[in-house]
This record gives sequence, structure tokens and C-alpha cells, in this order.
Amino acid sequence: MKFSDLLSMSVNNLRRRKLRTFLTVLGVLIGTASIVVMVSLGIGFNELTMEQIASYGSLTEVSVYSNAMWGGNESSKDPNYMTDDVIAQFERIDHVDAASPLLETSVLMTQGAYQAYINLVGVSQSYMKNIPLKEGRIPEPGNRDLQMIVGNMVARNFSNPKSNRYGFYDDSSSIPDIDFINRPMFVIFDMDAYYQSQNGGTGEGGTTVKPPKKYLIPTAGLVEGGAEDWNNYSYSVYVDLDALKAQLKQIFKKKPIPNQPTNKKGKPYNYFIYQQAIVEVDDMNNVTAVQKAITDMGFQANSNMEWLEQSQKQAKMVQALLGGIGAVSLFVAAIGIANTMMMSIYERTKEIGILKVLGCDMNNIRNMFLLESGFIGFLGGITGILFSYGVSFLINRFLSGRFMSNMPGDLSRIPPWLSLTAVGFAIFVGMAAGFFPALRAMKLSPLAAIRNE
Amino acid sequence: MTEKKSPMIQVKNLYKVYKVGNSKVYALNGVDFTIYKGEFCAIVGPSGSGKSTLLNMLAGLEKPSKGEIVIGGSHIEKLSENQLVSFRRKHVGFIFQSYNLLQTMNAVENVALPLSFRGVTKKARNEKAKEYIKLVGLEKQMKHMANEMSGGQQQRVGIARALAVDPKIIFADEPTGNLDSKTTREILNLMQKIVREQNQTLVMVTHDNYIAKFADRQFHIVDGKIFKIEEQHHEEQHHEEQQHEDTKEDMGYEEG
Ligand SMILES: Nc1ncnc2c1ncn2[C@@H]1O[C@H](COP(=O)(O)OP(=O)(O)OP(=O)(O)O)[C@@H](O)[C@H]1O
Ligand SMILES: [Mg+2]
Repeated sequence: MKFSDLLSMSVNNLRRRKLRTFLTVLGVLIGTASIVVMVSLGIGFNELTMEQIASYGSLTEVSVYSNAMWGGNESSKDPNYMTDDVIAQFERIDHVDAASPLLETSVLMTQGAYQAYINLVGVSQSYMKNIPLKEGRIPEPGNRDLQMIVGNMVARNFSNPKSNRYGFYDDSSSIPDIDFINRPMFVIFDMDAYYQSQNGGTGEGGTTVKPPKKYLIPTAGLVEGGAEDWNNYSYSVYVDLDALKAQLKQIFKKKPIPNQPTNKKGKPYNYFIYQQAIVEVDDMNNVTAVQKAITDMGFQANSNMEWLEQSQKQAKMVQALLGGIGAVSLFVAAIGIANTMMMSIYERTKEIGILKVLGCDMNNIRNMFLLESGFIGFLGGITGILFSYGVSFLINRFLSGRFMSNMPGDLSRIPPWLSLTAVGFAIFVGMAAGFFPALRAMKLSPLAAIRNE
Repeated sequence: MTEKKSPMIQVKNLYKVYKVGNSKVYALNGVDFTIYKGEFCAIVGPSGSGKSTLLNMLAGLEKPSKGEIVIGGSHIEKLSENQLVSFRRKHVGFIFQSYNLLQTMNAVENVALPLSFRGVTKKARNEKAKEYIKLVGLEKQMKHMANEMSGGQQQRVGIARALAVDPKIIFADEPTGNLDSKTTREILNLMQKIVREQNQTLVMVTHDNYIAKFADRQFHIVDGKIFKIEEQHHEEQHHEEQQHEDTKEDMGYEEG
């Protein structure tokens, strides 16, 4: 028997038994879809957890704090300050890609009637590149003039001192209308002098202090996100580290710089001391080791890793649960597919008997039934995948939003490998389920097969 | 006269016993006979006498309980299922008492089906199928599905299906059971003619003595035993037959 004859006979059989074929395909469809949707939920949940963690900051980042920042003065030896030397040491630790120091200083910003105390952070170029921007761009490297990258929630810090509304704005419409890009923003660095002049007070020498100089500082970019979307960069204003150092040196000269510690005699150090540093690790798996190395150097180190491990444990539990349900649905699906397939083959025992009487080769009969059941498995698998995409869409559209409003992103995800595996599985189960009853029918004598009702 | 013919089917001491509950039914109870090449034989007997059982066993559709069936030198009862299928594909046409057409196919497709098992191309087998459908008088029902035909029409499709493959042996179980007397005569004449022309061996089961008269020999069977063998003389055909100085044809059935 020619293969083309075999194929056309199989296809004809499916075509001529439309209802039977439809019902069998439907059985496979439901089986396939139930597995795919289950697994897609498991995958979605896992990825969602990872994304959520990643959204709070990079997973390969370690934040280092100096615990000797304040009050280290009591011990006789020099406190454990984070200086450029220490940063260089961090960079020499194995698996560390880069270490960027953060130099923080409090400033007063004013625009019109509004003012705010803002944490101005000097950061390296590599750090700045990681900040997602809504508009504008990061300042050119090597530019000595200060240019600001402004957090998307900084405007909330502004208030009008005259209206006495030191506000916590729980309603986004009442946030003051601060425009960083188009209107001038003045920055006062020397806060001591500002207070003294505000109070009309006198300085150390009893001389009246004149108000400190205001600097007009342009804004280069705005951090991504609306006034409600919190992220790591929302509440700070970032400037280039070197530019900030230069600016501070120029303003304060020999005077102590605010936020910078002083030695025992109350004199400032002649180098900058950082409050915080960000260490980039090459791989997620090395974060814990690097963190330990930094702690051993006498600094405090935090990363998302600890939290991630916690969340991963949780995610694993949920996955085990969904996996269990998935395994059950896999089993049920396989039985469902096998059942419909077997019923349709048992019905055809008589046909197999006739084919044998007419001299159809046993291998041909077997191949014919394998082709048919494989084809049904294929049809059911493909339509099942399409159906799953539909269900997945509905879940993401209506369910995710309602029950997990704190988690943006799709709850059900169908990666290509899942689709392919599911179709393969449907074909396999279909063939296996079609094969064994066909084999049984072939083992019967033709007469017994024909008499089989 | 019979010595000159080569034996086609030899049956020796054949038994078929069915167990029904605790009792045994002897459907065949020690049958012996020989059928020669080119012969048209009828197996005649009342209902339930074991005719169909005998025929099914000759075609290898069922295993005998005891005894030998030798067809063209091979022991049918010893062949495996695979070899039996191959034997039927190459040498046998079978006409069922209950038609047994494939429900998912129309008349032409049913007739063409056994040809496809022999690897005949689609065009050739459709032509041949149509030719035989016309011979049995069904040119108007060519595209009818099995359940869209009357019993007699289905029976004729079954006959066409068996004849179309040009088998060496044709087994027919009540081939005209559902036909009126005129159609019966036409079909029997047709079968007789085809079988004579191609020197095929035809074994036909019937309970009708009139139909049995068409055969060269009649085996009368009652309660699973042959009790009488009658010879019929069809004069003109006999002359024809004696002209055939048949060489023994190869009847091997290798698997595949
Ligand atoms: N599968 C079976 N199991 C038990 N008994 C059977 C079976 N098949 C046939 N028989 C019995 O064997 C006997 C012969 O049956 P068979 O079908 O050969 O009769 P038949 O001569 O063809 O009759 P009919 O002319 O009615 O077709 C009957 O008594 C029947 O009851
Ligand atoms: Mg019968």
C-alpha cells in the first residue's frame, strides 16, 4: 500500500466521521488546554515574583553603608570611613564589577513660593546610567557644572512655608506645581548660614551672617514614573559626583561641609567620606559572598538577595502547589484523551476485521490508525494551544487586575517551549491511546473482529 | 476426468467446536473434500448446518479446532495472522453474507479498496472499480455511501469488490441472498462467466437448491457433516474447460 493512499484514507476517515472526529479533538483540546493554563500560571507567578523583586532594584547590587559615620569618634583609632581608597578595595573583591560611591548632602531648593529640603546625591556616571529616565538625558561626563536628575516624587517634598502646609500629600492633585525643566530652581548648599540669616542671628564672631548664595541649577532629566509610582530613585535628586565635589569645595572652602564628619578636633578631613556605596556584582549567585567580604571589612552591606531568597522560597511553595495541580490535570488530560481515542477505535474493530479479510497488511492498518490518532492529537493540541492563549488572555485581563492589583504584569504566561511541548504531548498521548486498542483489534481473528459490536 | 485437474483446496478431517456455556456445539463435525482448480462449487445445506463456518475456515478467517486445510500446497491452519492476511490479499476474494462494506466509503471506493492494498495506482483502481460496478448493474449508485444503498445493492458492491481483484479463489457466502430471482440469475451468470474466463475457483455457500444448480459440484452439508456430493453437467462449459491444459501456478504466500 502506498503512503499517499494510507494518508488519504486516514484523512478521509476523519472527514467522513465529522462528529466523532470533532468530539475526540475536543477531548484532546480540553486536556491540552488544562495543562497549558495550569503551567502558564506557575510560570507567570514565578516570573512575576522575580520581576517584582527586580523592580525594587537590581538583584546584583549590594548597598554598603558606613556604620562609623556618626559617633565613631569615641574610639581612639580613626573610624572606619568609606573613602576613595575603600571604594577601590571594594572593586578588588572577586566578582565585583564596579563600586560607585554615593555622596549625599542636604540642600534647600526653592521655586517661587515653594521650598523643600532635598537629599542631593552625587553619583558616578555608571550609576547614573542605570536610572530610568522619563525625559531628558543624563549629564555629559566630565561636565563640571551641576545638572540634576530629579526623582519623580521629589515634587511632594515642596511646600509653601507661609501657608503653613507642611504637607503630606495623599491626593496627587494637591501636590504643588513644581516644574524642574522650564522654571528656574534655586539651590542653597550652606544650610547653617541659611538658618542663621533666617533667624536674623549672629555668627561665631557676633557678626551678622549674610544669607548664603543661591545657585541656579538646571535639570537634565526626570526619573521615569508618575507622581504615584515609587521606585528606588523617586525621592532623590542626582548629580554627577565629581561635579558635586568640585561645587562643595568651592562653596565651603576650608569650612566643614554639612553631612561630612570631622576629626577629633572638629576639623574637616581633606578628603570626602561617603555615606553609601553601590557595589555591582557580576552574577546573582555571587552576591552573598561579596556581601560577606564587605561585612568582614567592617561595613554594613545590604542586598535584595536576602529578600529574594525569602521570596523564592515562597514562590517555590506556590509553584509546587501549581505543579501538583498541573500534574493532576496532566494525568486527567492524558486519561481523557486516551478515553475518547480508545472509544473511537473500539467502535472500529469491525472495520479492522474487514480490512484484514480484504488483505490489508497489518503494518498498514497499524500505520493508518497511528496516523489518524496522531492527526487528532495534533489538531487537538493546536486548537488547545489557541484556546489556552484565549483563556490566558482572559485571566490576565480580568483576574490579575482584580486579585493582585499590587502586582502589575501578566499572571498567566505561555512561553513557546510550553506550546511545543503541549502539542508534542497531545500527539504522543493521542497516538499511544489510539495504538493500543488498534493493536488489540488486530490481534483478534478477522471474524471475531467483524462480529464485535 | 477429475484426475486431470490439479487440486486447489484439500480439506481433511475438519472440526470446529464452539463452547457455549457448558455445552459444545459441533459446527463442523469431520469434513473431508477436495476442490479442483477452476471449479465452481456450491456448499448447500439448511440454516445452521455449518456452511458459513466451513467457508470462513477455508478463507483463514477462523482457526479450525482440528484437521487440515491445504490450499495450493500450503497448510492454512498453520499460517500466522500476518501470513493469512498476505494470502488473502494475493489469492482470495471474499463475499460476505452480511456485505461488510466500509461505512465511510462510497460504492466505487469500497470496490477499489482491496486494489489499493496491492499498490495499484489510484487511477487504475478507480477505472477497474467502475468497470465492475457497471458489471453488477450499479452505475447509478457509484457515489452512494454504504448506508445509502439497499441490501441487494450493497450485496452487489460486495460481489464487485471480491471480483475486481482477480483472485485465484473466490469465497462467496450467500452472495445472492438479498436479490430477486431475475437479478440473482444475472449475477450468477456474470460470476460464472468471469470465473470461467479467468479460470478462477469459486466456492459458494447457499441454502437454495436452484442457485446450487449453477455450480459444477454441490456439497450437501447437514449438522456439520457432508452427506452428499452431487455433480452437475454444464455441457458447453466442459468443452472449454478441457481445453485448458493448466500448468500448476505458484501459490506461495510469503509475508509482506
Ligand atoms: N461464534 C459462535 N459461537 C457459538 N456457536 C456458533 C458460533 N458461530 C456459529 N455457531 C454455531 O455453529 C453452527 C453453524 O453456524 P453457521 O453460521 O456456520 O451456519 P450456516 O450454515 O451458515 O447457517 P445460515 O444458512 O443461517 O447462514 C450454528 O449452530 C451456530 O449456532
Ligand atoms: Mg451462514
